[in-house]
Amino acid sequence: MNDVRTVRAFIRSRGRGPTSWSDRYVSLFALTVAAAVLADPLTGAFAKLTAISRQVDPSRLGAGIALVALAYAGFLSLARRVGPVVLPAADAAWLLRSPLPRRDVLRRTSAILLAVSLASGAALSLALFAVLAGSAAHGTLVLATAVLVGLSAAVGGMAAAVVAQSSPTWESWLRGAVVSLVVAAVLTAVAGSGPGRQVLTAVTPTGPGRQVLAAVTGAPRSLGATPAGLSAAAALLLVRQAWRALGRIHVSSLLATSTRAGHVAAAAVVMDPGALTWAAEDNHWRARALRSRPWPALLSRGAPWARHAVSAPLALAWHDWRRLARRPGRLAALLGTAALPALAAQAQGGLSAVAVAVLAAGALTAAAVCTAGARRDGEDPGLARLFGVNPRAVLAARALLPALMSAAWLTFALGVLTVTGALTGSWWLLGPLAAPALAAGALRMARRRPIDHSMPVIDTPSGAVPTGWVVWAFTGVDVAAIGCAPMLYALAVQPPDTGAFVTAQAVSGFAVLAAFLLGAKTGVRRG
Amino acid sequence: MTEPIIVVRDVRVELGGTAVLRDVDLTVARGDIVAVLGVNGVGKSTLLRCIAGLQPPASGELGVLDRPPSDGSGFWRDVVLVGDEPAWYPGLTVQEHLELMHAVHRSSRLDVEAALGLFDLDKRRDMAPATLSTGQRQRLSLAMALLRPSLLLLLDEPERGLDSAFRSRLAAILTEYAAAGGTVVMATHDLEFARDARARELTLEAAA
Repeated sequence: MNDVRTVRAFIRSRGRGPTSWSDRYVSLFALTVAAAVLADPLTGAFAKLTAISRQVDPSRLGAGIALVALAYAGFLSLARRVGPVVLPAADAAWLLRSPLPRRDVLRRTSAILLAVSLASGAALSLALFAVLAGSAAHGTLVLATAVLVGLSAAVGGMAAAVVAQSSPTWESWLRGAVVSLVVAAVLTAVAGSGPGRQVLTAVTPTGPGRQVLAAVTGAPRSLGATPAGLSAAAALLLVRQAWRALGRIHVSSLLATSTRAGHVAAAAVVMDPGALTWAAEDNHWRARALRSRPWPALLSRGAPWARHAVSAPLALAWHDWRRLARRPGRLAALLGTAALPALAAQAQGGLSAVAVAVLAAGALTAAAVCTAGARRDGEDPGLARLFGVNPRAVLAARALLPALMSAAWLTFALGVLTVTGALTGSWWLLGPLAAPALAAGALRMARRRPIDHSMPVIDTPSGAVPTGWVVWAFTGVDVAAIGCAPMLYALAVQPPDTGAFVTAQAVSGFAVLAAFLLGAKTGVRRG
Repeated sequence: MTEPIIVVRDVRVELGGTAVLRDVDLTVARGDIVAVLGVNGVGKSTLLRCIAGLQPPASGELGVLDRPPSDGSGFWRDVVLVGDEPAWYPGLTVQEHLELMHAVHRSSRLDVEAALGLFDLDKRRDMAPATLSTGQRQRLSLAMALLRPSLLLLLDEPERGLDSAFRSRLAAILTEYAAAGGTVVMATHDLEFARDARARELTLEAAA
């Protein structure tokens, strides 16, 4: 028995008792029941997926690969952000700063990371199989390749993130890999899409462009033992590197990630998702070097044109503009996601419900990321009281930026859908007209109260539904959905002439924003 | 005595069925500085919250600037409350928080550069408030409160986190504010600071 085991055994002995046969029986029984319950739906879903995959049009391959690449980039980014090596608060406080061997202290965390990687790898394999199966003749070979590549990518990616935690060089490589994945996903999507294919073919009818397309389309056939073997070998090498790096990870890095994980755990315990975003936001600004700039002259109190009642709320709302301008990378990434609805439509062979859902969620997200000021004042009205500006006027001023951002995002997304052939006509007009309703929804979301866990839990045939969560999740989405109803209906039925829907959307968008601003509770919240 | 700014008569406050304040009387005139003293839990902060309209009393009379206190923008145009540390706006520096305060008010008591100098924040002007020490963040709160125009300043333990040298300077700043016609009511544990500010002392007794 090594030292860490002795310590852990001691801690266990002071907490709960040793595992009894009855505990083991209950665990085994629970696993058996879970397997029995999940086996049938999982087998059914897999069979369905296989059947659908066989009918997949190979021309959708580009979009599918792009989505898988984006998901993998998201996995790597999340691993980087989380740590990925973290410890529970008690271990970080006591075991980390002790003479115990670092690698032994981290053994349990390593096992959890491996389990998470394998689970993520399984999901990645399934997605890869769904994408590749339709365009290959040998289903079993594709399945084996997808499983091997998926698992290797996830395990190798996690291992690389572990190494990056102790090495700035690896950290920059990993960041570069994430960026490269996103760029590759975009290029694959463009090359695989209708216009992209036409452009490449027109430019180089028999040259490299056509060869690229041919390679992309023919990729599944060429995928086989070699790439799978290479990825597995690379993953093994990375795991070996990660195991070596575990002993070298600096205590400050582990303490920082463990503190962050502690915030996440605390937010999960009180079930306040907003706390997570504030923790990330505050960490970001704490690490940034900023340069103070004066407030724009037009919004300052000395401006000759502006009456105080107008300039003061606008000056307060300018904070959101400045915050957004200080994160150009995030802004570019946000605008880049406007291509996702088109990608989803392409992967599914048309404007499906999923693509419309991605469009709606993306437009609301574009508005919601510009409401930090309203969120701050909603949660802690201390500064709002200190400024003493009319809250309704401030709310109206704060609607401008989310409206502008959601208008830009939605117009761009609808434009891409039109260019890629998923829509025909002047659909982009709906973008600016839906923006006021999206801004109202985003501001309502920003001002919502924390989840009320005292609300009743309703028993339904599908399980218990905590109404506090449901009310919290739909606050804001409700107003946006009502305000965007004409656009959503038009996207569902896709009429040949959108004129009437454009008019209806203009009316509903502005009416919902006006009603929201007039009806919003303006009393500064009791703090 | 000149016209009263704050009138508190027989005010009683209960929290969770327990009396926190009982039969409290206080009259504050324009230009006064009042230091509310007492042991922990005696109700100093609760009294300030009552005057700020954030805690309705169970009984008694309460008037601030000739009207009942209300948690609305009209009230906060005249009254400033500095209590717990506020949540700072993300992405703004120390100087920009002061610039923002300067921009939203028709007139200011101080310009931004003067406020940065007076509160010893000029070397921290480009930092995010979250990166400052506790005392520096308290200075920023006070700088924002004293930069804008107001008639009444409510301060809950303004000395929190401040070094002794700056406490003396703050006492002088508050004396100057009162001399210019402002009124200050502050809850404090620092008797020396209260005396430096030439404050009238009000010691609360435990209600329970």
